[in-house]
Amino acid sequence: MNPENKNRFEPKIIAFVCTWCTYAGADLAGTSRMQYPANVRVIKFPCTGRIDPVFIIKAFQQGADGILISGCHPGDCHYIAGNYHARRRFAAFRKLLEFIGVDLNRIQFSWVSAAEGGKWVDVVTDLTERVRNMGPMVEFKELALEEQWSGGLDSPDLQQVYEAI
Amino acid sequence: MTQTINTSGYSAITDSIRNEARRILGDGTVSAVIGYTSSRREGSTQPTVITKSEDADKLLFTAACLNNLVVYLTKAKKDVPHEGRIGIIVKGCDLKALVGLLGESQLKRENLYLIGIPCNGVLGSLFNPSAELNSETIAPKCRECTDRIPAGCDFMPDVETVGLPELNPFYSSEIARLEALTPVERWEYWKEQFSKCIKCYACRQVCPFCFCEQCLCDRNRPQMVEQTPRPSGNLAWHLVRAMHLAGRCAGCAECERVCPMDIPLNLLNRKMAKELKEMYNSEAGFEVREKGPLTSFDEHDDQSFIR
Ligand code: SF4
Ligand code: SF4
Repeated sequence: MNPENKNRFEPKIIAFVCTWCTYAGADLAGTSRMQYPANVRVIKFPCTGRIDPVFIIKAFQQGADGILISGCHPGDCHYIAGNYHARRRFAAFRKLLEFIGVDLNRIQFSWVSAAEGGKWVDVVTDLTERVRNMGPMVEFKELALEEQWSGGLDSPDLQQVYEAI
Repeated sequence: MTQTINTSGYSAITDSIRNEARRILGDGTVSAVIGYTSSRREGSTQPTVITKSEDADKLLFTAACLNNLVVYLTKAKKDVPHEGRIGIIVKGCDLKALVGLLGESQLKRENLYLIGIPCNGVLGSLFNPSAELNSETIAPKCRECTDRIPAGCDFMPDVETVGLPELNPFYSSEIARLEALTPVERWEYWKEQFSKCIKCYACRQVCPFCFCEQCLCDRNRPQMVEQTPRPSGNLAWHLVRAMHLAGRCAGCAECERVCPMDIPLNLLNRKMAKELKEMYNSEAGFEVREKGPLTSFDEHDDQSFIR
């Protein structure tokens, strides 16, 4: 192993996907043996309309560095209009996150159909690389740490411990 | 410079709502009237429900009538009678909340008798309830209020209120100031604000739109929002609250007024209202909206942020 890579940052990407389109698209990418970053953890929902903004907050709190939300193209929703509702909800939620100072580059929305294995690979790869360049998402973790650790995440003490590992 | 605000019409309004309450309770139009009455401290007021026409003289309207009484009509407030037709005193902002509840099928118009107040502003707090209403003491929401005169009420005192002088807006300038900051500065600002929250849920208790039997934030299987007042759970609570009220909030600013920790809650509400107005041209008003901006959609909604 290259010693330089020892502690290399690997982003954690959480993908919230709908079962009918994007999950099937990701499945197609898998069965077609396409390669995409293993950083993505897929969580399957019945529909993008079921994806509550609180899930995104929760994911960030639990250590996600990037988030993907993906579902059926407009007009293709299995439940007819779930993705239209999701589109508005997330348009609004993005504005809220932006207002409190979250970098929107960490969140990607996409429509990936069951036939678009290639698009799934592109979306996941781009997001992973983008987040990798941005570095870890520390804001939410710092909030959680605040009660236990009075220093910042990048304090010299912590760095020393980290390097000693 | 401090500008005085004319509240001379308020005593005439008081007389007028007393007469009307006496009449509608006397002839049985309504079974109860929800209004304001004087409270223990000199000059301060509190909500009251009167059911007898003799009690009509207890009602009043002053610049210290801050509460949004509409919250007592919701199913969350179980100790208020919900039978028969109820009279209620509403300012413009309160009426917008009531109209929102009508749109969400929480209330029926025929079960209500609305007494509208041609409002000229109220105080920002009851800290000094006898304070003169002026450009310093007026509630921030009133500074940029465009709906002083309720519309579509069953009764309105025939009193001319002069209207407000030109005041610097509070929320819109605060929003503009924050928007101009960098994301990191904004994060620091909100982190500071949210960390003050003690999770007393006064803001939820007072909001007419927080009528759910069980709040998502109280559920623990699964627990989506941490319940203890710690920084990360506080942030989640405030984001969830802002999201659940986006497109519904009437801007009565009650949440902000009751917050013991002085967190600028209405700033988030106003920001969301502004964005939804820009994106979907929908905002709280005196017209019942069948569906709010986030419960409806258009096939051609903007999706430039979606890949
Ligand atoms: S969120 Fe606040 S301003 Fe909006 S309706 Fe509820 S109490 Fe009023
Ligand atoms: S009223 Fe203020 S302190 Fe209480 S829960 Fe709401 S924001 Fe937090």
